[in-house]
Amino acid sequence: MAILEAQSLTKRFGPVQAVDGVSLTVGQGEITALLGPNGAGKSTTLHMLLGLVTPDSGGVTMFGLDLQKHRTEVLSRVNFSASYLGLPGVLHVREVLNSFARLYGLRDPRARVAEVAELLEIGPLLKRRTADLSSGQHTRVQLGKALLNDPELLILDEPTAALDPDAGERIRHLLVSVARETGTALLITSHNMREVERMCDTIHFLSAGRIVASGSAAELAAHFGVVDLEEVFLKVAREGVPA
Amino acid sequence: MTAIAFEPHSTQARWRRVAGVVYRDLAAMRRSPIRVFEILFWPVIELVVWGYVTLFLQANKVPFIVSMLLGAVLLWQVLHRASNEVSIGFLEDVWSRNLINLHVTPVKPGEYVTGLILFSLIKIAGGLAVMVTLAYVLYGFGLFSVGIGLIPFMAVLLVLGWALALVAISAVLRFGEGAQVIAWSLVFVFQPVAGVFYPVSVLPEPLQWLATAVPASHVFEGMRAVLGGAPVPWDTLALAAGLDVLYVGVALWLYTATLRHARSKGRLSRFGE
Repeated sequence: MAILEAQSLTKRFGPVQAVDGVSLTVGQGEITALLGPNGAGKSTTLHMLLGLVTPDSGGVTMFGLDLQKHRTEVLSRVNFSASYLGLPGVLHVREVLNSFARLYGLRDPRARVAEVAELLEIGPLLKRRTADLSSGQHTRVQLGKALLNDPELLILDEPTAALDPDAGERIRHLLVSVARETGTALLITSHNMREVERMCDTIHFLSAGRIVASGSAAELAAHFGVVDLEEVFLKVAREGVPA
Repeated sequence: MTAIAFEPHSTQARWRRVAGVVYRDLAAMRRSPIRVFEILFWPVIELVVWGYVTLFLQANKVPFIVSMLLGAVLLWQVLHRASNEVSIGFLEDVWSRNLINLHVTPVKPGEYVTGLILFSLIKIAGGLAVMVTLAYVLYGFGLFSVGIGLIPFMAVLLVLGWALALVAISAVLRFGEGAQVIAWSLVFVFQPVAGVFYPVSVLPEPLQWLATAVPASHVFEGMRAVLGGAPVPWDTLALAAGLDVLYVGVALWLYTATLRHARSKGRLSRFGE
């Protein structure tokens, strides 16, 4: 069953065609990656899927509901995390998570915060100010925020960007088990090709705002006649649209 | 995982979301003594300065009623803080790059603003309580001498302040963080024609006409009338309330239109950069 369907999304900012006819589908429990070089249109696409940017044309449907018309219902079942976003610096981590749990209308915010803290191993951070966290700890707290409402679709912009290899591996493992065990659909961007190879069922390559290739990591490598996703990335980034 | 949420459109869910905004701001205030200090600092400074100006003028036999000036200082703070506190609440989300996190939650723009307004009420009540006490202790002025009229006077000023805050928020959404100066200064644009410390009649005629369109001018004129022994001018207060409705309507329209524009032009995304 399709959790997310984006149809022919386009967005132009002045002279720049940021996104040009992107269509994609993400199914229940599926892990999908949106890859591409800087400026390819990944963030704009994610922001259109979240309703932060209004598309010039095309539409987004989640859970069978039109995002523009059913914003509140849709966003209560989705969550987002990006390492570049901030959190109120004076608040303790527990207070940040408690406030977001309320913003998602959860019945028992404290219990849910405790569950998420255990899941992400951020219990020792709960009494620390978010301003005092390292970037890796901040990323884990952002992920905690993103899991609070038990989302059916989790959109993650570079989820392990600031994590050390050990923490990154544990988070990848956690995200994969969330997807497989609860049926949560994941849509991620990443510049870590090994991570994408290990996690993702479907990969879409974006270049100049257009999806230029889609498939599993193995399918893409075979299509481009290379050995791995890293080489696919380099080929797409340097040569653009494949022959 | 066992996260159970209220149905997103239920009253419980709406209030829980509004409460989430208030909870967040209360927690931030509790964690930041500077914020508590800031609630008290400017109102107290203004009260002390204007209070002693009043005493000086009184000692020099300047013919006017002391309470009018102190009443004006106190009521001006209501308007000033109502505008600034809501704007600051929004700006804190901009400064901490948290605005995108909020806009991907099910919180509606109106719920977010309601949360900011409720929190501003708490801060205004705290600041005002200190000022009223100081005015009584230092100068023997009791704000409650304004009588029953105090309630509508304050209500008109609060609503006007919130409307101005929405305009300031819209300016930041439209022009970016650089427009935050509007959040601090917008209320002062109204001060000259609001007749805060002098009657509107001293203004040139065109400004007097302009003053009739400013809800605050009716409040300050009314306050002076009441402190001078006249009854509460309910008719002009009704006019001020009507003007408030108009101001809020325009401010809400502006806020909604600016938010739509920010989404369309990708400006909302840039608050995460």
